[in-house]
Amino acid sequence: MFKHDSPASTSVEIILDGQPLSVPAEVNVAAALLAIGKLISRISPTSNKPCSPHCLMGVCFECLMEIDGVRRQACMTPVRQGMIINRNLETGERGQS
Amino acid sequence: MSDHYDTIVIGAGPAGLTAGAALAEMGLKVLTLDEQNRLGGQIYRNVENASEDNLNKMGEEYRRGLKLAKRFRRSGAAYSGNSMVWNVESEGRVCYSRNGVSTRITANYVIIATGAMERPVPFPGWTLPGVMGAGAVNGLAKDANLCPSGKVVLAGSGPLLLLEAALLIEKGVQITAILETTPKLPPLSIISYIPKAIPGAGFIWKGVKMLLDIRKSKVPHYKGVTNIKAIGENGVTGVEAVCGNKDLKFSTEMLLVHFGVIPDSHIYRLLGCRMEWEKTQRYWYPKTDQWGRTNFERIFGAGDSTGVSGALASEFKGELAALEIAYCHGIIPKYERDSLAEPIRRKFQKDFCPRPLIDAVFAPDPKRFSFEDTTILCRCENISVGDVRNLVKEGVTDLNEVKAVTRCGMGPCQGRMCGPALGEIVAAELDLPISRGGLLTIRPPLKPIPLGEVAAIDIESGGVDPANLFKNQSKQAGH
Repeated sequence: MFKHDSPASTSVEIILDGQPLSVPAEVNVAAALLAIGKLISRISPTSNKPCSPHCLMGVCFECLMEIDGVRRQACMTPVRQGMIINRNLETGERGQS
Repeated sequence: MSDHYDTIVIGAGPAGLTAGAALAEMGLKVLTLDEQNRLGGQIYRNVENASEDNLNKMGEEYRRGLKLAKRFRRSGAAYSGNSMVWNVESEGRVCYSRNGVSTRITANYVIIATGAMERPVPFPGWTLPGVMGAGAVNGLAKDANLCPSGKVVLAGSGPLLLLEAALLIEKGVQITAILETTPKLPPLSIISYIPKAIPGAGFIWKGVKMLLDIRKSKVPHYKGVTNIKAIGENGVTGVEAVCGNKDLKFSTEMLLVHFGVIPDSHIYRLLGCRMEWEKTQRYWYPKTDQWGRTNFERIFGAGDSTGVSGALASEFKGELAALEIAYCHGIIPKYERDSLAEPIRRKFQKDFCPRPLIDAVFAPDPKRFSFEDTTILCRCENISVGDVRNLVKEGVTDLNEVKAVTRCGMGPCQGRMCGPALGEIVAAELDLPISRGGLLTIRPPLKPIPLGEVAAIDIESGGVDPANLFKNQSKQAGH
């Protein structure tokens, strides 16, 4: 889906949907996941269909994910070492906005 | 009173950085809040950390941001990144959320410099994974050095679509097709704009060179395209469109769309600022005076959020707002304000020259938005164009009533993605000019935040009672 123009310099370890993963550091969560080929950001609670980040500038809310326990816009959240991210792809989002 | 500022600037793009720097240089206590964790806004995104390679590829327009970022840092203006503003009151109070903590601060003046966003245009399949804004991919390149690795189709209209196409071609990305919705021949009415655009010929020449580069690449480039459709089940796999009497079909891994840019107007609408309709580019913008002051004395707007005019013009607007605010604080006398503003206005005029011509060439034509009944209009709530049309046929004419009945515009994005098209669809259905149709009402919080954060705010500085924070402010302002 995406490739690096120049190799990413540093990386951080995160836990994505229960799996430990290494992603590029110093970028936002949406970019970090796209960099490792994770396109799907969530399952829409209204259509039950998969979504991917659309605007990457904080407008569309398609990249809402549970980040360290809180639903946040992944494109507006810097990725950090040890971050726990849940996309809830099997169950969809619990609760409603 | 450490949380009181002379001025709070919202947004750290060209306008916000300029205004913040200019005010700090004049000795005022100013805080610039920005949602991103790095300054620069969209156009100068991540410019301070950009590699030489990225600076070269993104061109002079990007590199210019380095100079502005340096000026801002040198000015000593306070900056708070990762700060999401979720309420602004016309008396100068601002609530924002940072790292899970909400804070309420006050200022004598607020400058709204929230910039612009890509115009969301619903079409069949636009909710499929892999359909992204062209600007989104531009941001990924600046932010994370990422670029598409597979086949890409670009679709839409506007100079930024072509700019992104040229950039991806230069990077060697495999572009299957460029589908421009702009007509093959511009409307005759543009002739009247040409004489005024001549001083800006350099800008237009750049555009022509870009088009020649695209042609040289031999990427199939269609104009006057209609009926764009993204195909796929759980992600985009193809794109269909119509060009004249020819049906087009491409297989692709990504569809990048761009339909021009429109002001990000949510904060103005939350405040109840008077909004006006731009009829060529078809967007709402706040009415401001020559300094950027809105109908509220303490609230200013600057940059593309007051009307899309580009990065340089945004810097000039930021500079002018700062001069007026410095004058209102008694830092500079009136004659100094005016004499400092004079050369800025001249530069602004010169920069503005080619804009009416470009806006006319790439003017969105409402007749060409052929919204289909089955297309999803509101992505958050999964409301289709047909749902809205049916309601209008039943006699509902007000956008906010449509919202209340269908939930269109009520999801987490708060109508950012469906609002502009909703206005077009309702106006077309009623056969009324869109300017009469009004806008979706915006209430705090501007973006969803956990309720616990609001409850934890330390409130003692007066203003709206915490229990009333989420009531509709704009109604109190008489709108």
